Amino acid sequence: MLLSAVVFLPILFALIIACWPTERTLRPLALGFAIIEFVISLTILQRFDMSSSALQLVEQYPWIDRFGITYFFGIDGISLWLVILTTFLMPITLLGSWTAIEKRVKGFLVCMFVLQTAMLGTFLALDAIFFYLFWELSLVPMYFMIGIWGGTRRIYATVKFFIYTMFGSVLMLVAIIYMMFLTQEALGTMSASLLDFYQLDIPFIGGEFFSLQTLLFFAFALAFAIKVPVFPFHTWLPDAHVEAPTPGSVILAGVMLKMGTYGFLRWTIPLFPEAAEYWAWLFMLVGTIGIVYGALVAMVQPDIKKLVAYSSVSHMGYILVGLFTFNEFGVGGGLYQMLNHGISTGALFLLVGMIYERTHSREISKYGGLAGVLPVFTIIFFIVTMSSIAVPLTNGFIGEFLILLGTFKAAPGFAYIAVTGVILGAVYMLWMMKRVFFGEKGELVKDEHHPLHDLNVREIAVMAPLVLMIFWMGIFPNHFLNWSKSSIDHLVQNKSNYNLTVQSGHLLQPAQKAAPAVETTTVEEAPAEVQPTTETEGGR
Amino acid sequence: MNIQIGIGDILLVSPMIALFLASLIPLTTKVLRGNVEQPPMATLIQGLGGVLAAAVLLMVVSGSGSTAFANALVFDGVTKWMGLIALMATAGALLLMYDNPATSGDQFSELMFLTLSSVTGMLILVSAVDLLVVFIGLETMSLALYLMIAMSHEQKLAKESALKYFILGSFASAIFLYGIAFIFGTVGSTYIPMIIESTADLINSSRVFIFGITLLILGFCFKVSIAPFHAWTPDVYQGAPTPHTAYMATAVKAVSFAAFLRIISTQSLLGSENLFDFLQWLAVATMIIGNVAAILQSNFKRMLAYSSIAHSGYILVGVITTGISESMTFAASGVIFYLAAYSLMTLGAFAIVSLMEKTENTSVGVEDLAGYAKKRPMMALCLTIFMLAMAGVPPTIGFFGKFYMFTAAIGEGLLWLAIWGMINSVISAYYYLRPIVIMYMKDGEPQEADQPMHATRAAIIISAVLVVVLGLVSGPVFQIVEKALL
Repeated sequence: MLLSAVVFLPILFALIIACWPTERTLRPLALGFAIIEFVISLTILQRFDMSSSALQLVEQYPWIDRFGITYFFGIDGISLWLVILTTFLMPITLLGSWTAIEKRVKGFLVCMFVLQTAMLGTFLALDAIFFYLFWELSLVPMYFMIGIWGGTRRIYATVKFFIYTMFGSVLMLVAIIYMMFLTQEALGTMSASLLDFYQLDIPFIGGEFFSLQTLLFFAFALAFAIKVPVFPFHTWLPDAHVEAPTPGSVILAGVMLKMGTYGFLRWTIPLFPEAAEYWAWLFMLVGTIGIVYGALVAMVQPDIKKLVAYSSVSHMGYILVGLFTFNEFGVGGGLYQMLNHGISTGALFLLVGMIYERTHSREISKYGGLAGVLPVFTIIFFIVTMSSIAVPLTNGFIGEFLILLGTFKAAPGFAYIAVTGVILGAVYMLWMMKRVFFGEKGELVKDEHHPLHDLNVREIAVMAPLVLMIFWMGIFPNHFLNWSKSSIDHLVQNKSNYNLTVQSGHLLQPAQKAAPAVETTTVEEAPAEVQPTTETEGGR
Repeated sequence: MNIQIGIGDILLVSPMIALFLASLIPLTTKVLRGNVEQPPMATLIQGLGGVLAAAVLLMVVSGSGSTAFANALVFDGVTKWMGLIALMATAGALLLMYDNPATSGDQFSELMFLTLSSVTGMLILVSAVDLLVVFIGLETMSLALYLMIAMSHEQKLAKESALKYFILGSFASAIFLYGIAFIFGTVGSTYIPMIIESTADLINSSRVFIFGITLLILGFCFKVSIAPFHAWTPDVYQGAPTPHTAYMATAVKAVSFAAFLRIISTQSLLGSENLFDFLQWLAVATMIIGNVAAILQSNFKRMLAYSSIAHSGYILVGVITTGISESMTFAASGVIFYLAAYSLMTLGAFAIVSLMEKTENTSVGVEDLAGYAKKRPMMALCLTIFMLAMAGVPPTIGFFGKFYMFTAAIGEGLLWLAIWGMINSVISAYYYLRPIVIMYMKDGEPQEADQPMHATRAAIIISAVLVVVLGLVSGPVFQIVEKALL
């Protein structure tokens, strides 16, 4: 029940907020809800057994029997931290947008909570159609967030975002339906469960594009590549980020982009191992191009937010390269970098939003000498920048180091190029810092009529957990990596014959899927299955 | 032929009889009152009562597959579900007619008579298994419809569209009848099961038979607006009063597809490769033309008209799948489910248009929606649901409708049609998003009818709730439909 509660509580919150009578108390209420959600999601950690690579806390119930579609949630080391990241960023974003969103607050908060459900569902759903449902659902609230609360070109940006992403996902839907028919051939009954998909043995012919596994692989990969976004499909991202309101950018960069990389890790690579291996060079190539291209384009941006947006393209390139190394360093680093990027880029967008609220401008050339006026802001911005450019002791270093290590092992050629991204990243971020914070005071900074105020208590409270996480994850990476280690090792070692077992929770048996006599068997096996979890709890 | 009409036959057609009797009540009352309209509310209640009675009777008598009138009418699962969809859409359209300035007030009892007569024709059409009876049903339905459109209080566009619809509709009926003649000439019967038996022999040997089948299909293509026979649709849909447009786009289209389904499930497609290819290309062309043309529209009703053409294209994919599949139940129930979904979404969208018509001469542009979300947040939310459902965003019924139909298509190896359908739903997202964008993201002062229009609002909210709820429980619903077809 825990995972269902985590996924669907935000919908309940959204309903309560929609019916809430007073406008004034909406924000504290929403913040309270988000914190409750975060605390509940932390109890997953308590019940999670990190030594196992199996799925845990599984909940599977029949939903659309006719096609073997089930209500299927489960968690393992791969999705664990992404779920926590989502619930962690939510209260921070709400607190950060306290004053940024002025009109239609209620609608905004409803969008945020619906979006949270969609994102959590995407990370936890293990049934293809169920997953697709959440995947597509996440578009709707984000579409409204950019379109209603966004900047001047918001409508163009939001429609582009929606259609671009939808294009990728419909082909994935065709592939999912096709795979459901494959399960019917292989297993006798149709099923959309990911575990049944893993059982499939899809013929692969290397070098031939129009062969079954390759086509299915690319149908899935395209959907995720657009979401990530991988280099040639990245153009929606800067538009969406620049026009989105601050909280929208934070969630988009912090969590929604990870839905793409998570998709690669959970779906594309284990489902189509031969194709993934055969075409790894292509994804390494576009990832590397993304790293360098994103960094170079970021360097020349006149707009701070656009600069951060392009830096996302560069960072996501790292993650992609890491995932396609197929060794534990690269994949582990990629997963770690997903979290790092969520925290550091989320923090950067929040900081950009804070300064934008004060000056209503994001143009780098209008700033300069901010350090003297806003010392606290400068210090925090500097720390986050360090994390973004992967300075040791910050979280970014661990992720990038592991990815580069993995890449040197798997494909040194790409590593030589990818490593330049580290330098380029330092160049664009530090150059931006120099122009914004140091040197002569810019026109906005020395404007006597509108003196700038340093961060207030609320804003420091927003940034404090992020800064804390930057150092915690940078100094004690094993506190986090250990939780996903066994899942990643399992994936790396058994990639070509990947399968997940179920450790705890309720899984439908094949016989149950056909016959409705569920109750008796469920009751019998439920206590037996719950036992391992309670034992580990006691042992900890 | 010696035709004997027993009491069983009469019982089976009781839904039609109930509708016909109900249609006479308002008209008779008017005559008895000395040509004075009774309160429209009374007329509406009598009409809805008739529809409800017909629905209940239909549930009782159909589903078993029994036949009436010397096998001319059959009451099986298709009859039951398609009939219910038509009756449901009619009930919604009646609520709209009660409120809309172009249809309410004067002559409402005549309008009610015509609407219910047309629905009677629909029930005949969905239950007919004889080509001539199909034709009778089609004409009963259409003739009443031409008059309904011409009766609009709006003086110019409605008359034009009624005439256009009449001329082109008659032409299509003629083609249809011509096709029947050829089939009768080769098979020696107009009874559909008999035609199925002969199809296997005739499809390869007799060109005249193929000619007849093709003409028949073309007649249907016109009725359900498949490109390139779609040209009347935007004009007629735009010119007709909005409630009638809603009625045409939902009930009329659903029952036309029902009859189409019956004829095509003869597997006549299997033998003739050319016919099969031809229909596939028509489906692709319809989807593309409908969606691309819809992008260019600024009038809301016209946009919805092109969107309905595009949806015809999607449904044709399902119909083709039914035509080639071994057991038609899966694909056919996909089509039925999609038609139900489509009817709900389309009815809701047209109801919103109807809500915004201040007088009978108002034409609602997409831009006129600016600021609507602020003024009417509930209605704006409903329209958002309808638009997203039409674009096929989960978890609405629109997504599951597409999912079931395209799953059937992929199962029959029509992967490329499914891919075209998916790509088209992305194209369609562009124009379905536009009303939402304008409603929520632009400021303005939308106009609205002066009267409160409670009936229309009720229809909108019920459809919106159904679109979401039926989406979530679509699995069981689909299985019920599928079981009924076995």
